[in-house]
This record gives sequence, C-alpha cells and structure tokens, in this order.
Amino acid sequence: MGNDLAELMRSSADDAPPGDVDVASVVATGRRRVRRRRGLVGATALATAAVVTGAATLALTSAGSNVDDDRLAASPPRPDAPTIRLSDAEPAVEGRDYEELTSYTNEDLEADNGQYLDGVTDDGLVLFRDGPRADQRYPRFALLDPATGDKDWLPRLDIDQTQTWPVELSTDRLVLAGMGAPTSEDGLHVAQLAYVFDRDARTWRTMSWPDLPGVELPAGDVGPDGRLYVTTPDTQGAIPEGGWPVGTDGEAEDADAEGDTFRLWSVSLTDADDVRDEGLVVGDVAFTDDAMVWTDSSNGDAGMVHVRDLATGEETAFDPRTGERCNLLGLGASGDRIVLSQYCGTYADGVRDDRVQILSTDGEQVVTIQDSGAEGWLPAGSEVVNLTVYGGEHGGTYAYDLAGGRFLRLSEDVSSYGLGGPTGQPRELMWHTPENRGRGATQHLGRLLD
Amino acid sequence: MNPDAEQAFTEFAVAARTRLRRTAYLMCGDWDRARDHVQEALVRVYVRWPKLQKQGGELAYARRAVASVVIDEARRRSSREFPADPDLAQPTTEDVAAAVTDRAALMAALAGLPPRQRACVVLRFFEELDVRETAAALGCSEGTVKSQTSRALASLRSVFESASRDELVVNVMRGQ
Repeated sequence: MGNDLAELMRSSADDAPPGDVDVASVVATGRRRVRRRRGLVGATALATAAVVTGAATLALTSAGSNVDDDRLAASPPRPDAPTIRLSDAEPAVEGRDYEELTSYTNEDLEADNGQYLDGVTDDGLVLFRDGPRADQRYPRFALLDPATGDKDWLPRLDIDQTQTWPVELSTDRLVLAGMGAPTSEDGLHVAQLAYVFDRDARTWRTMSWPDLPGVELPAGDVGPDGRLYVTTPDTQGAIPEGGWPVGTDGEAEDADAEGDTFRLWSVSLTDADDVRDEGLVVGDVAFTDDAMVWTDSSNGDAGMVHVRDLATGEETAFDPRTGERCNLLGLGASGDRIVLSQYCGTYADGVRDDRVQILSTDGEQVVTIQDSGAEGWLPAGSEVVNLTVYGGEHGGTYAYDLAGGRFLRLSEDVSSYGLGGPTGQPRELMWHTPENRGRGATQHLGRLLD
Repeated sequence: MNPDAEQAFTEFAVAARTRLRRTAYLMCGDWDRARDHVQEALVRVYVRWPKLQKQGGELAYARRAVASVVIDEARRRSSREFPADPDLAQPTTEDVAAAVTDRAALMAALAGLPPRQRACVVLRFFEELDVRETAAALGCSEGTVKSQTSRALASLRSVFESASRDELVVNVMRGQ
C-alpha cells in the first residue's frame, strides 16, 4: 500500500472551491493591455532622437585627424538586405494615404517657447502642452479634442521648468517621465521621476524610487506589465586615442564605434519601494505587446538582437547583420517587426550612410531604407517608421508603414524645431513644417489610412 | 483582435480554465492565487492569440504561461515570505481523515520544493507531460527537467517518510 503521486495530485486538485477564472474579465484586460501597448510613448524613441542629434554634433572639439582617403573615396556599401532609398517613396496624398487630425502653429519659436502636441491618448485626445515660457515658468497641460478643438485644462503640475516625456497616455492615467536631482557629482546621472495623472480623480502624483540608481535619460518605456523600464549606465565604449577623426563635413566620424551597455531596471508606477533589477545588461530595449526586444549594446556596434516572449520567458537571439561600420542609434519593435536606426559612416562628398533596418522577430531581413540624411526611428507603440530628412533634394518627412509596406513622403520641408515626436498610437504620426521664414513651425498630427 | 478570433479565444479559455487552475493550484498551493495566476496567463495568451492561431499549440502555450506566472510570483514572494514547517505527524484514526491528511501531506511537501522543481513534478505527474514536453513548457533543457524532477521526488519521498505516511509511489508512465 502506498500513496501514488499522480493519484494524490489528482485528488488534491479535484475539490476546487467555486470561483473559476472570469473569462470576460480576461478578454477585457487583454484588450486593455493591447491598447496600452499601442498607447505607449517611450524612451527608446526619445533616446534615438537625442542620439541622432548627438551624432550630428559630436566631439568637434576633439583634436582628431582626418578620415583616411581610402574611406572617403568609397561610396556607402549596400546592406545585406532588400534595400530602398528615399527616392522610392511615393508622395502621400491627403484623403487617400492619410488624414490630418489636427495641427498647431507657433509663429515665432525663436522669441519664446510655445505650445506643443505631446502625444495622443488611447481615447483619441491630444496631450497639449503650453510652455514653460518667459511669462509662465511652468508647463500647463490640457487634453485637446481634435474634433472640436476644445481643451480640458488639467490641474497645475508644479514642476517649474522641468522637461517631461510622456510614457503612457491611457484612458485611466497619463504618465510623464521627468528629471529629478543629480545623483552623481558630474551631474551626468539624475534621479528618475514620473508624474502620474489619475484621469478619474483629476489629481497628479509624483513618483520617485529611492532604491533606483541614477539614469542618464530620465524617460523609460512602460512594459506590457504596466511597469516602467529604465536603464542605468554600465559600460561605455572606448573613444580612440586622440579623439574621433573628423570628416570633410567637419563632423566627428564615430562610425564603427564600440557600443555602450546599460543595466535594465523596472519600477512600479504605484509603489515607490517596488524597484527590480532585471539582471540584464542591454544596449537598447523595446517592447511589443508580447515580447521584449533588446540589443547587446548601443551607440555603436549593436551586437546580437534578443527577443524574449513575455508570456513564457523563452528567449531567442540572432545576429542582425548590420553593416560593418554601423552604430546603433535606436531600437523599436512592433508586432513581429524590429527596427534598428543606424549611422554607418560618411563617405566622399559628405554622403552619409544612414540606415533604418527592418527585421522580423525571427531575424529575417525585411527591408533596409538607406540614404544620406535619412534619420529614421520607430516610436514606441507605433507601426509607422518616421524618417526626417533635413534639406536637400530629398528633404521632408517620410513614413514607412510596417503593416502594409508602403513608403510615403508626407512633406518636402522640415522645421528646425524637432517637433515630430511619438504619438503613442499605432497608425498616427506627427511631423512639422516651417513657418514665418523659419522662425516658427506647424506641428501636424495625422493618421495613415489603410 | 477580430470578433471571430476573440470568440475562438473565449471558447478556448472557457474550456481550459478549470484544468489550468488545477495545475496552477498544485504549483502554488492556494486556490485563489491559482485563479489569479491563470487569469494573468490567459491575458498573456489573449495578447498572443492571433499568432497562436496561426502556429497552433494554444494549450501548450497556455500551460507555459501558467508555469511562468507561478514561478515568477514565487520568486517575488520568496524574498518576503517563509513557508511554515509542515506539521504532518498528526495521527488520525479515520480512513477519510487519513486520505485528507495524505493530500495535506502532499501539498505541504510540494510547498517545500523550489518553484521550478515543483513545476517539474506537477507537469510530469499531473499534466502527464514527458520530459521533452516539460522542458519545452519550462523553457529549460531536458537534462534540467530530469535532475530537477529527481531532486523533487527525493524530497517528497523524504517528507512522507519522516511524517510516517505510507510510502510515496511514483509510476513513471511516460518518457523518463
């Protein structure tokens, strides 16, 4: 006589008390989670923008030597992937390819800060920001109904002139990442903050996490689990002795750099004591509805791309086969697509090798957009790759639709104020055009039509 | 998700929830937590559903999601909770009570296992998965499943022995 393990397990699990899983609730939560993922506005995109700017202005103070003649004589190599160029884009037609939902014009941004469209909530309202300005040294936020133009001004958020980055604009709450006090003597690392607006209660709450180390860029990305994921510096790629060489365009030539690495953390947006070291060293990180994607390093060689199924924890990794000299500037992910933004060097006559490489989550090369000045990125939660080209024959804003593979040119000019930004909605995007002889700008919010 | 796919998901969830809850209960030892774990696992399945419909293996995926949720939760709880020592030596004179005590002994013994070992024995002997299927469900190697299961069974037998319960018998029906 003995106790059979399997039989004992079956009998132990037989007498379940009433109260099984409510499937309707599962479906409702699943819908919200998909919506939330699509509503995200993340740090990856913001980091990308910052890095792209950095690449253009990097280290002119270094005393480096000129790039060798052999490299200048060459033209950019073709990527090991199906490739398209800016000239392959079709002019977008309003009403056929996209609809403009709203726009806002600042006539003179040289004189003072203005008003901006900062993103779109899951229920279709635009987060409108006023200032901070010279006569109003704090930002005011409103939710703008694009259909009527009505603004619902939110209670004042008392943050002086602190910069904010929207990281979640859902029907329940608005979450803006913000910058706290410096945590290092050199001021390069700061405390991560988040300002959380409860839309029902109409109250702001400031979140900070005493156990979280200082971050470089206080933004982050809200994961499918509702936690805010941020990175803290780990290792920095070495700069060549004597500094980066300087190309004929006067810019530092930092292609083929060693990458930087970061430690990944996550924090609760409701509990300041809930700080988790994810035990992962990453370059860039992005989320889809059901996966976390990361690279080994960023701001240089990307290394491998890793994909973790968030339901099961299963991980896969592949070599993205980026170009030999490519620096990873940004990472985005949507559905089964991964987007790597890269700078791959400057060649003769100042021709840049800029790339947006689109892969499947299995590592298949889908398409690479390659052209000089084609700075592109996939905003968090978006299915539309945004490309901005400043000046020249191909200047303007472009959109590559991951869902349909369309490549559209939305405008032929771009203002100098960097007002594009993520919307948080999968089919929507923002772009900006110059006004008032370049002193001002119009920010456009549009939606791609299927 | 389109209405047809959502209907298919709903039918799947209704059919699978009771079984998944039992599995989760054996893995965590609490019916309410088991329900919460299955709820979370099914939400993850929902998010993934369009891909699963193309690829198949919905139940296997759901089982993996349950194991992942339970193990993650156990990891989080382990830093702040300590299992009580099982008090298994309570004598009883009635057969029914003895059966109940055997089950209680099992649940207490399972509670003493590390989360992954516990998941291994539940998947192997309750879900009747073979070693390869268990490895796939837990995202680990077959060798890990074998070693974790072996350690788990040794612990379970030891607990039954020290509690003076009848010997714990393990019938390995499928690919060891």
